[in-house]
Amino acid sequence: MDRELLAGADEDVCLHLGTPLTRKELRELVESAQGSLAQAGLRGGGTVTLHLPPSLGYVASLLAAWRIGAQVSLLDHRLSRAEVDKALDRLAPQVVVQARDVTSSAMSGYATLTAHPVARPDGVPAQTPHALVQLSSGSTGPSKVIARTSDDLLRELGTYAKLDDYPRAGTRIVLLASIVHVLGLVGGLLHCLHARLELAFPDRLTADGIRAAVTLSNKPTMLLGVPFHAELLTADPRPMPSLTSMVVAGELTRPWVPTAFTAAYGVPLGSMYGMTELGVIATDLSGQLAPAVAPAPGMRLRVADGELLVAMAASPYVGLIDETRWVDGWLHTRDAAAMDERTGLVTILGRLDSQVSIGGLKVDLTEVEQTIGALPQVAACVVSFDGAIEAYLVLRDGSVLGDVEAEIADQLAAYKKPRRFYVLTELPRTATGKNVRDRAVLRTAAQAAPTVSR
Amino acid sequence: MLASFGQRSPDEVAEEIGSLELTWLITKVELRYGVMLDLSDETLARMTTVSSAVTTLADVLAGAEHV
Repeated sequence: MDRELLAGADEDVCLHLGTPLTRKELRELVESAQGSLAQAGLRGGGTVTLHLPPSLGYVASLLAAWRIGAQVSLLDHRLSRAEVDKALDRLAPQVVVQARDVTSSAMSGYATLTAHPVARPDGVPAQTPHALVQLSSGSTGPSKVIARTSDDLLRELGTYAKLDDYPRAGTRIVLLASIVHVLGLVGGLLHCLHARLELAFPDRLTADGIRAAVTLSNKPTMLLGVPFHAELLTADPRPMPSLTSMVVAGELTRPWVPTAFTAAYGVPLGSMYGMTELGVIATDLSGQLAPAVAPAPGMRLRVADGELLVAMAASPYVGLIDETRWVDGWLHTRDAAAMDERTGLVTILGRLDSQVSIGGLKVDLTEVEQTIGALPQVAACVVSFDGAIEAYLVLRDGSVLGDVEAEIADQLAAYKKPRRFYVLTELPRTATGKNVRDRAVLRTAAQAAPTVSR
Repeated sequence: MLASFGQRSPDEVAEEIGSLELTWLITKVELRYGVMLDLSDETLARMTTVSSAVTTLADVLAGAEHV
């Protein structure tokens, strides 16, 4: 850990969250976090969950836990209390690191906080040798536990090092994606620490805030985010002389965006395709292959029955295993794709299951539908996606939509909440009694339904 | 302003505002009015619909300093 992520000259700036942080200062923060975690009872082979927004406290806790030799699981700070409780029941960590004295807003690129480790007496030590544990959005039934070994993380860091157009030492990345998820975590934080370049977080995630973070330094700078960030910057182009490229991932980029971005800034808008299970899988960093991507070094891809499969020696799942996701050395991505057999280039066409992406964050519509359907006020529910999450509901007698929305706010993270609600007297069904999911049919039924007050 | 996100027509903009649209809206308002809006979570939490965002931004802009 020390050699791979914390080594480097004392005076080298490695992170910038409001102010620059040198490698020496980072090592001291990690040392201090290690003391706090040990005091909470964390030992080698132990388990810890980080439930923190992006912050120095998060970075120090993560590196300190790995330095101790513990297994670290990550929870997005935007999850609701109910979702966090469910995840902790599932993960059973011995220590949870929570945020105290947080100063940030939803528009901030990072938070300032005190990381506070809390011992959980019922927690259990690591059952597997994995270093990192994350929960999937849960396409069917309960979410899957995805685990990665330190060797696999180092393998991915090696992949980034081999990508010709990915930033190297002496340059910097301004990170717009969350360091709790694989793109920001490995492609941003860990790559910068490993390859010894600077990682900067914008004070504010608005176009002005992003520009300020880029123009703060004369070093060649790459922006790493999700397609929304590229759209945001394209809508309000102003000079960023040190910007050398922007790379986005997490969801499909709208076709007009790369051309508009390059016209605005004179630098490429590249893209990456990856998964929590494996990290980066395919890239088009120069933006010249769009909408296709080329397999990253070491990745073997094929398309079977329209689905993209990726060669993977071992299953990335622990606990409840979905036997349809990893079969005979191939990970089933659930993404529809087309492959050019001559060039090996792949074009991702969209999801084959009920997962959608909201600003790069994965949301499973089945999970949203099941959560809403289980509420006491709801008799039946169908959730669909049409640029935004929509819920079609039948309420129980005496229930009102406002109560349902209040319950949803308790149960689901804000980004998973339906943006539009339609209350019907009954849901349209097929001849065999199944719920109709065709949006046109649902909309027609909603238009015929009486107006409902909140 | 919100319709320009995703190149939509104004009638395609739903009354409910998501977090991405809120970021978009704040960027556009800052650009148009030459201000920096440092909004607290409490203020942002009030901006869940187009109507509430208009009301909130009007209040904030009335007290904002131009940059």
